[in-house]
Parts: sequence; C-alpha cells; structure tokens
Amino acid sequence: MSPIATVFLLAGSLVAVLAGIGLLKFSTPYARFHAAGKASPVAFILVAVGAGIELGWASSALLFVAVAAMVLTLPVGVHLLFRAVHRATPGDHLVVDELRVAERLIERND
Amino acid sequence: MFAIVLTGFVIAGMCAGIRLLQGPTLADRVVALDVALVTLMGAVAARAAESGDSSYLSLLIVIAIVGFTATVAASKFVESDSRSDLENH
Repeated sequence: MSPIATVFLLAGSLVAVLAGIGLLKFSTPYARFHAAGKASPVAFILVAVGAGIELGWASSALLFVAVAAMVLTLPVGVHLLFRAVHRATPGDHLVVDELRVAERLIERND
Repeated sequence: MFAIVLTGFVIAGMCAGIRLLQGPTLADRVVALDVALVTLMGAVAARAAESGDSSYLSLLIVIAIVGFTATVAASKFVESDSRSDLENH
C-alpha cells in the first residue's frame, strides 16, 4: 500500500474513533448528533480518498459517487432528527432557540 | 497497518453499539445506527484498498442511500411518536 494512502486511511480511522467517542461521551442529544453528523462523513471522505489513491481512477469514480451520496444525504438526515427531537421536546429547553421563535412568528401570522 | 485502521473502525462501531443499547432516546438510537453504517462503509473502503479488490465498492453507494431512507423514516416516527419515549429516561 502506498504511504499516502496509508496516511489517509489512518486519519479516517482516527476521525471515526473520535466520532464514536463524541457519540458516547456528550451529554445532550443535540451534542451527540453534532458529533455523529459532522465527524462521520469526514471519516468516510478520508478513507475514500485513501482507497481512491490506492485503487486507481475507475474505483475512484465509484468512491466519488458514494462520497457524494453520503455528503448529500447524511447531514439532511441528521438535521431531520434534530428537528424531530426539537418538536418532540416540550417547553423552552434551549438557551438560544431560533427555530421556536420562527415557529411562533409563523403561528402569529396565520 | 490495515489491522490498526480496522481496529479504529471497530472501536467506533463499539461506541455506536453502546449508544444504540443505552439510548436514552429513540433519536439517539437512530443516530447510533447511522454512525454504525458509516463506520461499516469506511471499513469496506479500507478493506478494498488493502486487498486491491474493487468489487465491493458499489455496496458503499447502496449503504449510503438505504441509510438515508431509514433515517428519514425514523425521524418522522420520532417526531410523531417519541413524546413518551423522550420522557421515559
């Protein structure tokens, strides 16, 4: 395996560990989603770059499609979960809550 | 070297598994499954790089899209039905 590809694979693996630790250690659901939703795409992108360097252009095309599919979909999914938790939690539970302010504004205008 | 990379992914998957088991909310479990899927994708890509065999790479695209569909469906479920689940912890 080429040294550059190895470095990328190791970095991706390290970021995946960090995502897992963040998912495990943070105390509120929002913080956990933050760790999971940001770090895990970065981990996969690093591993895909490493694998692309190692495997050549034809495989890089497949890896690019996989990275594009994940980068386009995973933040959207985590964002939907954020909103679902926000809507399912009653009351003012956050210090700054722009979504609730916007929802109240919409309710008032209806 | 591949063993070190794979160990990292196994640790990440174990963290996601612990979060999946202990919750405390339904949404946490969904996110833990998401992280487990991304970890699996990383492990498949690393394995392909190590063996030089690119035949499993299409699997990555399938996992990404199926994982997204599952998350969206689960988030609708969390939104409509998780009030009791959120208050139980």
